[in-house]
Amino acid sequence: MKPRMSPKRRFLAAMMGGPVDRIPVGNVVSVITVELMEAAQAWFPQAHLNAEEMARLAVTGYEILGYDTVMPIYSVTQEAAALGCEMDWGNPHMMPGARTHPFAETDDLRIPEGWIESPSIQIVLDALCLLRKALGDRVVIVGKVMGPWTLSYHMMGVENFLISTIRDTDKAQRSLDVLKSVPIAFAKAQMQAGADIICLADHATGGMVSPIMYRDMLLPLHQEIISEIGCPTVLHCCGNTTDRLQYFAETGVDGYHFESQVEIPDAVAAASGKMTLMGNINNPQILLAGTPEQVAEACHRVVDGGVQILAPECAVPLTTPLTNLKTLVDVAKGVA
Amino acid sequence: MADILQAIASNLYNGEDQEVSSLVQQALDQGMAPGEILSGGLIAGMDEVGKDFKAGELFVPEVLIAARAMHAGMAVLRPLLAESDTPSAGKYVIGTVKGDLHDIGKNLVRMMVEGAGFETIDLGTDVSAEGFVAAVREHQPELLGMSALLTTTMVQMKTIIEALEEAGLRDSVKIMVGGAPVTAAFAEEVGADAYAPDAATAVDVARDLAG
Repeated sequence: MKPRMSPKRRFLAAMMGGPVDRIPVGNVVSVITVELMEAAQAWFPQAHLNAEEMARLAVTGYEILGYDTVMPIYSVTQEAAALGCEMDWGNPHMMPGARTHPFAETDDLRIPEGWIESPSIQIVLDALCLLRKALGDRVVIVGKVMGPWTLSYHMMGVENFLISTIRDTDKAQRSLDVLKSVPIAFAKAQMQAGADIICLADHATGGMVSPIMYRDMLLPLHQEIISEIGCPTVLHCCGNTTDRLQYFAETGVDGYHFESQVEIPDAVAAASGKMTLMGNINNPQILLAGTPEQVAEACHRVVDGGVQILAPECAVPLTTPLTNLKTLVDVAKGVA
Repeated sequence: MADILQAIASNLYNGEDQEVSSLVQQALDQGMAPGEILSGGLIAGMDEVGKDFKAGELFVPEVLIAARAMHAGMAVLRPLLAESDTPSAGKYVIGTVKGDLHDIGKNLVRMMVEGAGFETIDLGTDVSAEGFVAAVREHQPELLGMSALLTTTMVQMKTIIEALEEAGLRDSVKIMVGGAPVTAAFAEEVGADAYAPDAATAVDVARDLAG
């Protein structure tokens, strides 16, 4: 075992498959809860729209939870807002969502010029700068971008886009091809602003689309995006993705963040030697409704199963108890 | 006669909406009863879709185009069904819970239960407990479906069921819940009557509960 490591060295070492002093705990999607909003006095929706509040809230992931990461991008809609969707930014109990879909009724699929200058994008970049200043190199600062599949949901509407994947494959593929440049540009800007790693979230989820469609329409784009981003990158895709894990392993991504619907041995078998794994701790049953003992039990299962980083499976419910979120760190430190 | 029903079912399965609506019209022109076209053609086709979706052979896009074809057929049939007093399978109120703007799963369930002959009332997304209570009071449905995609919003289901209890309406309606993060254990915990892991199973569950 290595001598004591800083959170950043520990997390990055584990993510890139190297030796660590203990298993890291981190998150590449939101761990924000109402209790953390109270502690930081930074609330949704302002924390999506104001860089200082966004950064102040993100710091709680390290200072209060004791995780090895901070992650300031709580919604999946910062890009959607910049690309022309009308937004509902939600409230402390509600995540934001896109109300309109600019590509829905048109074949003229173009990204608005200057989208990267939009407030919803600049706020993220400013927040990353603030985090870098405040935390230096101690903690992993996680950036997050939406992949072209998720962006197509926002730009065309979920039903329209899914129908086009079989009825107007050209339009669907064009949408994906056009939108590919958004995560590349946004990720590069986030790295310049201070992000150490990037989470590429793309919801080509089990049940929603077939693994073959993922392979044919999206895998080549993921390969290109990940190779262009260049920094350590984690793929996040929700749901039961067992039938497409083998393709995720071909993207060239460094880590995969997965949900509890995927069995740990399946994930480990597909990822082995190709990408590291994080996540799998069930949100609704265990982190939200379970006892700290049940959380610890789930964490031990994850560690014993060969997952390299302890993490909730997805953005946590806003009323998740802090004690449960902290139990991940207790397990990592060997005290639970 | 059976051939045309078979053709309606298979065109519906393949999402050929225009073909379905013209075949339904042809069947009517041949003197077939609207109720027979509904059950032997449209519902039979949608049942196949549900079966293959559950088996992992079809995915959401295929179900969506089949549902559109179902709609096209129903547009021709609905006025005649009303005239002929063909009984509906039951009334089904459905919505996505407060704080959640996701509607794909909810829409799939609505389309599939409609495809099974239920009369549906869709409350949309981000529906408050008061909204569900008011809809149950107004429509007096046999069934109420609640959907949530987010682990951040699924907890609303409990609040809604409690609100129905307070309003004295809980026992008037069977409640089923679903959505990606929802499980059977969670459904039981919040006091729902049933859980469906996917839209096709939701139809089976709805038939059981309404039966």
